[in-house]
Amino acid sequence: MTDTERASMDADIVCVGFGPAMGGFLTTLTRGLVAEDGSLLAESKVMPGAPPQIICYERADDTCFGVSGVVSRARAITASFPDFDPAQVPMAAKVAQEKVVYLLDPRGASRRQGVLRFKDTLLRAAGPLLPAGGEDAVELPYIPPFLRKEPGYVFSIGQFNQWVGAQVMGTGLAQIWPAMPAAGALIEDGKVVGVRLADQGVDKKGNPEAAYMPGMDIKAALTVVGDGPAGPVGRGLDQALGLPPGNFQYDWALGMKMVVDLPSSCDLPEGFVLHTFGYPEPDIFGFLYVLPGRVASLGVFVPSWLRAPARTGYRYLQHFITHPYLYKHLKGGRMRSWGAKSLLEAGRRGEPRLAGDGFARIGEGSGTTNVLTGSGVDEAWASGVLLAEGVLELYKADKPFTKENLDAAYVARRRASTLDQEARVAEKARDGFSQGFVQGLAGMTLTGFTKGKYNLSGRHRPPHENVPSIEEYYAGMIPAEEIKAVRARCEAAGESLHDALMDRAGWPKIEYDGQLLVSHQDALLLGGKVQAAPGYADHVAFVDRDTCNNCNTKICIEMCSGQAITTNPEGGVPLFDREKCVHCGACIWNCSKPRPRDRNRSNVDFNAGAGGLHSAEN
Amino acid sequence: METIVCIVQTEGDGSLAKAALEAVACAKELAAGLTAQFAVGLLGETVQPGADALANCGASAFFAVSGAAFAQARYATDAAAVTALAKAAGATIVLGAATSRLARVMPGAATRLGGVSDASVTAVAAAGGKPVVTRWYYRQRMFAELTRDARPWVVTIAPGCFAAYAGAGGSAAVTGVTPELAAGGARTTVTRIISPSGEQQTIRPDAKLLFVAGAGWTKKQSDGAAHAGEAEKLILNFLNKSKASLGTSKSLIDLSGEGQQVMSFLTHMHQVGQTGATPRHPKGLATCCHGEEPHVVGWRFIGERRAVNLDANCGWAQGKADVLYVADAFKVMAKVIELMG
Amino acid sequence: MSDGYQIVVCGGIVPDPLQTLEPVHGPAGWGLKNELMLPAILDPWSGHALYEAANLAKAAAGSKVWLVSMGPKAKLQQVMMTVAQKAAFELIALDAPAGGFTEAGDVAAALAEAIEAIPGLDKSRLLLFGGWQSASRGAGATMQIVGEKLGVVDQFQGVDKLTIEDGGVLRVLERVEGGSYQESTVSGPPALFGWATGELPEPPNNPQVGMANMRLVMPALQKAKPVQLAQPAFGSVQLPCQKRETRIVKDTPVEAIAREIVDWINA
Repeated sequence: MTDTERASMDADIVCVGFGPAMGGFLTTLTRGLVAEDGSLLAESKVMPGAPPQIICYERADDTCFGVSGVVSRARAITASFPDFDPAQVPMAAKVAQEKVVYLLDPRGASRRQGVLRFKDTLLRAAGPLLPAGGEDAVELPYIPPFLRKEPGYVFSIGQFNQWVGAQVMGTGLAQIWPAMPAAGALIEDGKVVGVRLADQGVDKKGNPEAAYMPGMDIKAALTVVGDGPAGPVGRGLDQALGLPPGNFQYDWALGMKMVVDLPSSCDLPEGFVLHTFGYPEPDIFGFLYVLPGRVASLGVFVPSWLRAPARTGYRYLQHFITHPYLYKHLKGGRMRSWGAKSLLEAGRRGEPRLAGDGFARIGEGSGTTNVLTGSGVDEAWASGVLLAEGVLELYKADKPFTKENLDAAYVARRRASTLDQEARVAEKARDGFSQGFVQGLAGMTLTGFTKGKYNLSGRHRPPHENVPSIEEYYAGMIPAEEIKAVRARCEAAGESLHDALMDRAGWPKIEYDGQLLVSHQDALLLGGKVQAAPGYADHVAFVDRDTCNNCNTKICIEMCSGQAITTNPEGGVPLFDREKCVHCGACIWNCSKPRPRDRNRSNVDFNAGAGGLHSAEN
Repeated sequence: METIVCIVQTEGDGSLAKAALEAVACAKELAAGLTAQFAVGLLGETVQPGADALANCGASAFFAVSGAAFAQARYATDAAAVTALAKAAGATIVLGAATSRLARVMPGAATRLGGVSDASVTAVAAAGGKPVVTRWYYRQRMFAELTRDARPWVVTIAPGCFAAYAGAGGSAAVTGVTPELAAGGARTTVTRIISPSGEQQTIRPDAKLLFVAGAGWTKKQSDGAAHAGEAEKLILNFLNKSKASLGTSKSLIDLSGEGQQVMSFLTHMHQVGQTGATPRHPKGLATCCHGEEPHVVGWRFIGERRAVNLDANCGWAQGKADVLYVADAFKVMAKVIELMG
Repeated sequence: MSDGYQIVVCGGIVPDPLQTLEPVHGPAGWGLKNELMLPAILDPWSGHALYEAANLAKAAAGSKVWLVSMGPKAKLQQVMMTVAQKAAFELIALDAPAGGFTEAGDVAAALAEAIEAIPGLDKSRLLLFGGWQSASRGAGATMQIVGEKLGVVDQFQGVDKLTIEDGGVLRVLERVEGGSYQESTVSGPPALFGWATGELPEPPNNPQVGMANMRLVMPALQKAKPVQLAQPAFGSVQLPCQKRETRIVKDTPVEAIAREIVDWINA
C-alpha cells in the first residue's frame, strides 16, 4: 500500500501521551477556552463554527497509564484544583508523617565504597543509641527542606490520571483516545504539522498483512508532545532537531514498584512517607507510601550510574522489601499491583527544544523532573499548565503557533516560572554520583543547602559507557574462569546469568511466599495484565545484529521489567515478546553497547507500540 | 408451600441424558428439603420412555409437551413449552438442566410466567424452609448464595453438580400439555447439527480427564525451534488414546491472530478460563500453561489436578495443582503415549 | 433486505477480566472492591456482537447499528473512547451500576425500554444483538428477557456465525454441547442473537470512526438516563478458597513421570 492511501484528518491541536503534563495542559486549556459568559475564546480553523478540535492520543489501553510513587507537594496541581479533596481521587491521601532512612546492608552483598563500609561499622557500633538502631537501619533525625513533601499528597498516578481524564472529557472540549500509539511527528520543511499514528494490521516487523491499516496522519496547527522520556514522538523530534547545545539525556533510572495490601500487623499510618537509601545497593533509592485502605505503594529506583552490569530491577525490589527495616511492616502483605517505568534523571540538562514551528514539548520528556527534590509529577503538570496559558494567549491574540510565538508565549513563561527556577537549582545536584555514592550524596546535600550555588562536578557520558564488562566488575571477587563456567552453565540451562552472579556474590535467595514474594513472571500476572492488541509491529528493535552477537553482558534482558526481552536460544540478538512489554523503556538505556553509526545512542530502538497498561493503580 | 416442577428434555429416542437425570436428582433433593412435592415436565418429540424411566423418582405428576414441533431445540416452541409445563404444574419453582437447549429458553420462560430466574446454579439447599441457591459470578471467580421471594423462580442447574438419578424405571402416567405459541408461530427451522468427526472430536464433556494445552507448546523449545506440528501430533495422539477432552488457554488461541504457528484443530470452543469454558471433569492435566486462566478459572470445577511445566516456580500451578511435574512436556507426553500402548 | 437492518447491540461494561476481583458489601448491596478504580472494557462477548453488527451493517446497505450500554456514566465515557474507534454506531447510554450482582430482569427491562424509545424503530427490520453471557453476572438471561419484552421470539444463543442468504433468510450457527453447532434458519427479522466469539477479529482502532462516533457519543452520555437496579437477597458472596498442597516432582526421569501420569489417568 502506498502513502497516497494513508488517510489524513485535520484537527486544531493534536496531543500525544496522556500523563500528568497533558492533564495539566488539557485541564487548563479546556477551562480557558470558555469565557465567563459561556462564549468560546476561539473557534476551530478546521471546522469553522465549532470549538477548536483538540485531540489527544494515548498509547495505553486506558487513561490510567502511569507508574510513580507518587508523593508530591502538588503545588501546581492544587493551584489548578484549589478545592482539591483527596477523597475525590481513589488512593489519594495527605502526607501525614515523613521519614528518611539509611539502610545498612544486613547481607553483606552490596558493593560499598571503603569509606561507606567504615561509616556502616561506626553506625552499627553506635546502633542502640541511634533511632531505629540495631535494625540495620538509621532514621535521619532531620529531613532537609528540599526533600520534604509536607504539606503534600500521596496518590496513585494511574488513578489520578483517570480522574483528570474523566473531567477533561466531561467538558466535551477535548477528546482523549486511548489505545492509539503515535509513531512520530510529521515534519515538513522543518515545521511540525501533526503526527502519524502507528500502522495497524502489520506483522512483527511492520510488514502489511491482510488487515493492514496505515497509521493515519493527524494534521494540526499545534502538536503537543507529552509522551514521556521513552515516547517515540518526543525522541524522534530529539533525533530530527537535536538537543540544544550542551544538553544531554544521559542519566536515567528504572523505577519499579508494587502496590501492596498491608498485613493487619502493620501499624504505619495513612499518609506515611518513607524514603530510603543505602540498600540493596548504596545508590538504589527506595520508597514506601501508605495510601488509604491499608495499602502501600513501594518501590526502588535503579539508576544508570549504578555500575553493576549484573543488575535486575525485580530482584533488587525483592531485596528491598525483605530488608528487616521494611519487612517487619510488610511480612504477610499481598501484592496487588506491580509496575515499572524509566525516569529521565537528566532534569533540566536533558531539556529538549521546548517549542518550534507547530509544536511544543511538555512533561518529563521536556526535562521537567527535579533531580534534587526527586519530584516529577507536579512539575510535569506545571509544564502543561504553562503551555496551556501560552496557547490561550495566542488564541486570544489570534496568532499562529510559530516558533517565535510559542517561544514568547510558552518558553518565556516557563523560564520565568518557579518550575524552571527550581530546575536550575537542581540541575547539577546529582553530578557527584558519577564519582561514587558518597560523593553523590555529598553533592546533593551541597546543592540542596546552597540552593544550587555550589555543586560537586561529575563526568557526563552515555549510560552504556558507564557499564564495565561482567569480568571487569567482578574482578577480585569472582575469577574470570568461574564467570565463564557460570555463563556456559546458564546458557545451557536457559537460566539467568545475572541471578547466578548475584547468588555467587552473596545475595540471598528470595523465599517465595506466594503473596508478596513471588517469581518475576508471577508478579507480571498477579500485579496486573500483560497483553497488547494484535496487529502492531514490535516496538523494541535491536539495531545492529553484530553488536548483539558480540555482547555478553546483555543487561537488556535482565533489566527488562516485563521479561519481554529474553535470551535467544540461537544466541546473539535477544528475542522480544511485544505482549509482555510494559513500555518501561529500560532497554533504551540498559543496553551496554553503542550503535555503530551513532555512538551516543545504544543499540536498542524503542518505537511506537500499543498496550503496556499493566495496572490502573500504579 | 412450594410446588416444584423439573423440566427435562428428551433425546431423539425419548430417553433422558445425564444432565436431565441430574436435574431430577436436584428436584428430588430440594423437594425433600422443603417437604414439597415435585412434578416432572417433559419436553421433546417423544416423551414416554423418559417419563417411564422416572416413574419411581417420587414425582407427584408427569406433564409433557411432545410432538414433531418439539423435536427441535428452538426458542419459540421451547419457551412456550416450558411456560405451559410450569403453568400446568402450578409451579412456584421451575428447575431444569443448563443444557444448551434449556439454557436458551428458561430465562425467557421466567419472563412469560412473570417470575424471576437464576442460571447455572451449582448447588441448591433448603435453609429454614426456604430454597437457597449457589451460583458463580464474574466468570467463576466468586460464588454467592442467594434466595428470592418472587415466584415462580426458574433455575437452571449446571451439569455435573448432582449425581444423576438412577432409580428403577416403570410406567408413568403422563398428562399432555399444549403450549400456546406466540403469534407468527415458529419461523425458525433447525436444519442440522454439525459435529466434529473422528479425530476432530476433541471436546468431550463426559470425559474423565480434561487435557489443557498451554501456549508453551508453540513456543521455541530448547533446540531453538518451535515444533507446533509435533505438538499437534502428540496432543491429538494422546486425546485419541485417553479419550480426554481438550481445553486450551486464551493465549494459545490468540496466537492465531498474531500469525504464529498454531494448532489447526483449536477453536474458541476449546478455550477454558475467563472468556472460555469452565468444564467439569474428575481429573485435569495442564501442560505448558503459565497463567491464571487455565489454572485458576479454567480449573475451577476440575477434581484432581496435575500439571507439566518447565518452570518450578510457576505460581499458578503451585497451590492450584495437586502435583506439578517440572519437565519437558514434549518428552513426557511422548512417553505417556508410548506407555498407553 | 432493501431498507437494511436496524441492529441494536446490547453491551454493558465489565472490569477487565485480568484484574484481581474481590466482592465487597456496601450500602448499595454487593459490588466489587475498588469497582470504579478498575479498568473497564466492553463486555467481551458483547464486543464480538458489536463487531459482527458493524460488519453486517456494512454488507447490508441501509443498515444502522445502535449500541445500548448501561454503566456508571464516567466509566461508560472511558470505555466508549476505545470502543468508539472500532465500529460505527449510535450510542444509547443508561446510567446505572455495571456490576454482576444486579438483577438481570431489571437490566433487561431498562434495555428494552431504551430500545423501544429509539426513534423510527421498525421491528420488522430489527436484529437484537448481545453477548450470550456477560463476564460479570454470566447468567445468559438478559438478552432472552430483552427479546421477550420486545416480542422477539426467534432467539439464538452462543452464536458464532450469522449469514444472510438469498431472500433475506438468516442462517445461524449456535454452540451446543460437545463442540458441536446447531444450524438454524429464520426467515428474517425480528430476531435475537446472543453472540459467543463470532468469527471476526477485533477491528483495528480507526481514528476517523472514533471522531464520527464521538459527535453522538458525548450527547448520548449527557442524556444518559439513570436506572435503579435491585439485587437478589444474597446470603453471602465469597471468593473460593481452594489452595492445594502441591507436590513438586523435579529432577525425575521422563519415564518415571510418564508412568506416574499414566497410572493416575487409569486409576
